[in-house]
Amino acid sequence: MMDVLQWDGTLSAKDFRIGAVAFAQKWESLNLAFPPWSWVPCPKHPWLASPQEEGYLSLEKICISMPQEEDVDQTSQTDPGEEDASCLGNKDVIDDATLVQSNQDGLHHYDFHIVYSNIFKVPVLYFRAYYGDGRPLPLDEIEKELPECSSNELSKSKWTFITQEEHPYLKRPWYKLHPCGTGEWMKLLFLSDTAQPKSQMVVELYLLSWFSVVGQVVGLRIPSKMLNGC
Amino acid sequence: MAEEGSGSILQFAPFQSSVDEGFWHRLSSLKLNKFGIDDSPIPISGFYAPCTHPQVSNHLTLVAESLPSDSNEESAMPAVILGNRNRCSVSGILYNTNTMEGFLALDKQGLLKAEAKKIWEDIHSRKAVEDCAVLSRFLLISFSDLKKWSFHYWFAFPALALDPPATLADLRLASQWFTLEEAESVSAQCNEWRNSSETADVPYFLVSIGSDSRAAIRHLKDFEACQHDAQKLLFGFYDPCHLPNNPGWPLRNFLALICARWNLKTVRFLCYRENRGFADLSLSLVGEALITVPQGWREDQSVPNVVGWELNKGRKIPRCINLAKSMDPTRLAVSAADLNLKLMRWRALPSLNLDILFSIKCLLLGAGTLGCQVARMLMAWGVRKITLLDNGRVAISNPLRQSLYTLDDCLNGGDFKATAAVRSLQRIFPAVEAEGVVMAIPMPGHPVSSQEEKSVLEDCKRLNDLIDSHDIIFLLTDTRESRWLPTLLCANSNKVTITSALGFDSFLVMRHGPGPFNSTPGLKAEMENSLSAGMDNLALASTDGGHRLGCYFCNDVVAPTDSTSNRTLDQQCTVTRPGLAPIASALSVELLVGLLHHPHGIFAEAEIANSNNGGNSELPLGILPHQIRGSLPHFQQMTLVGHSSNSCTACCSTVVSEYRKRGMQFILQAINHPTYLEDLTGLTELMRSANSFQLDWDDETEDADDECVEL
Repeated sequence: MMDVLQWDGTLSAKDFRIGAVAFAQKWESLNLAFPPWSWVPCPKHPWLASPQEEGYLSLEKICISMPQEEDVDQTSQTDPGEEDASCLGNKDVIDDATLVQSNQDGLHHYDFHIVYSNIFKVPVLYFRAYYGDGRPLPLDEIEKELPECSSNELSKSKWTFITQEEHPYLKRPWYKLHPCGTGEWMKLLFLSDTAQPKSQMVVELYLLSWFSVVGQVVGLRIPSKMLNGC
Repeated sequence: MAEEGSGSILQFAPFQSSVDEGFWHRLSSLKLNKFGIDDSPIPISGFYAPCTHPQVSNHLTLVAESLPSDSNEESAMPAVILGNRNRCSVSGILYNTNTMEGFLALDKQGLLKAEAKKIWEDIHSRKAVEDCAVLSRFLLISFSDLKKWSFHYWFAFPALALDPPATLADLRLASQWFTLEEAESVSAQCNEWRNSSETADVPYFLVSIGSDSRAAIRHLKDFEACQHDAQKLLFGFYDPCHLPNNPGWPLRNFLALICARWNLKTVRFLCYRENRGFADLSLSLVGEALITVPQGWREDQSVPNVVGWELNKGRKIPRCINLAKSMDPTRLAVSAADLNLKLMRWRALPSLNLDILFSIKCLLLGAGTLGCQVARMLMAWGVRKITLLDNGRVAISNPLRQSLYTLDDCLNGGDFKATAAVRSLQRIFPAVEAEGVVMAIPMPGHPVSSQEEKSVLEDCKRLNDLIDSHDIIFLLTDTRESRWLPTLLCANSNKVTITSALGFDSFLVMRHGPGPFNSTPGLKAEMENSLSAGMDNLALASTDGGHRLGCYFCNDVVAPTDSTSNRTLDQQCTVTRPGLAPIASALSVELLVGLLHHPHGIFAEAEIANSNNGGNSELPLGILPHQIRGSLPHFQQMTLVGHSSNSCTACCSTVVSEYRKRGMQFILQAINHPTYLEDLTGLTELMRSANSFQLDWDDETEDADDECVEL
């Protein structure tokens, strides 16, 4: 517990772990349309002093929306010549017992990770999107599906924007919502929370409140009624 | 039990592959660091789980951990992939070729048959009963083009084909087939099976229901025992498919196993599917298949026919994925650079005009201490198009102070600075568009012989063309006279010009004012060509002499002459305090950026820093001075204003119009006759009258005008 007025909106790594557990539990109890978050522990780095386990929250393979069947041909840059060259001769690839399916490729999947930032001392939402076969979804496709995360929308709200940076544990480029302003608006959020009797920063509530704002950008909404009565 | 009669052919929904980006990253890494040109087959693991969504099938997924670990990335991840409830591990084999031709030439049917043979042998040897995941063995062929970062690949999920094919006697939702009690018991038992770490990743099992409607889930190896106990016996498997009328692919080899080992002609199966982590019998299917056991299947005779290559949008072709965006280091460098600038704009400088920075073309005359540092600062601000002009070679003392060179550039007589600088810029940021020009700048007071005349005129023309084709010119040479011709040409074309000059412990950074003729016909076109739309609202300032800001020569009272001959050794080899060049270079670029964001651009009035405005300016980048003069001994810096002079040897209207009239002949005359410029501009007159008055000259001016020659 901490007096919000003295607080700068950040939280410690230890508190992040506590908050993450509380958040995952609350999320599951809310029985939303989404599967539960899981905690992914990360191998300790021997050169860091922190004794407790590091990790992040993970929510993967989410289908945000179901796109139309008629999806633009996204695939392979195979040239027409390749079909002949790599044909399998006269042997049939499929037989009567194989169901020939319509293109299942049109589904978009999202992975979300909530990772603690040691520099900014706040949680950061990382995400990436891909087609069913694993190909990454380009940002302009993501923006079509999640209009709130387009640069236009974000520049209006002015509290964050999307960058593509290396995931701190997976070491590959992921999109993230930049954490620069997070401390500021978290403080404002807690200050304006009239449900709390005294202005206290409660660690267990931190991630839930944080996500209620951040999640909207990526189409994951927590109905506000769930935040009250905590 | 099952009815006789012809049912429809049982059609299975093919497996679909999904390859996580991380798999390709690790494969590239392994190829580069471990395997090299060795293309022996690589054992890999794939993962799948029962369907978890009524509208989406699950895929066979490959992730980075599917491949053996790359010893360079020392992670504490266990080498053994443990299955869990979300991923049943199945083994596969990867044939990754070294060339595209090799990929196309692979004997695909041969490879598929080889995998089918393994499954066939496992069925007959009982291994498939003990470790049933081997029924879902798969094959992957690929070619990784590590220059273009594209990956060609093709999956095969070998399935032993029944001949004639199995037919379907019945297929319905599991919740409709079981009684309520049975359904409850089956669900509960399945959930237990899925929650136990010993069985969560066992994808084939038996469901045995006793007469008391209680269900039990058993391993395949218990078949003989179950056969007699159970009232109802179903063959269950994790079904990745979601379709209501078709079972998934894993059932194919399961049926092959059942009919080859146990000789059953009717098989009741359970397509096990889940919803949100729990067994869902209204998504799962129960069906009955009728099989005609093919001849020779019971004995381990020849391997049956096999199918299973994955179709790509219905076509028999491989797939291709391009990951340059996330793997190509140059692209990653570019997006990191962009990110930095965009962050700056977002957090501190919303009016930062990145488009103009990315599009301007800068010409740097001089690739020495100033040139190297200005180039680096420009790149840091996002400028991509940089041309460096210098006729010198990198000397062995240069790398210490000229930040683009290293010792390698000095060897064998030394590379040309212009080319070495370009190479260095490209190594720092591959996306830079840098060019080097090896050329000397013709200078007044350095007369040329008639043989040299032709090449000097060519150089003048070349310089003129360079200046015309760039937007911003930096004068960063080491003598005063070498700045004359560029200044004149810039004044003529009204180009943004930034001059920087060093004394021993002082520096000057200034922007030249506009040329004397602002409303020339070529001007508008030039403005459109050079800078962006932001500059369109320029207010055309008054013409010559009045309030036009001056150039480097405007407060000279002598014409530029040969400053290098007849100098003492220490004057020829004068050095500057090392800190000066970086300071002056940095200020030059910051001054330029300020100018680019000023609505009046080259016509902007000068502002000076004083305690009244205290740094507050209407512009977000701050004030836009005309001249900045700094002194290291005092750690002081001043901003000054100098207006153009009617007698300026470089930019006054007399000189510029004379150039316009006579072109190269005029230049040649100025080069060859030391006093020509002074006579032309009336400086000679001015000096005569001045000498009779004994004005004292500002010391500061003289210091800053001292030119120094770098060793």
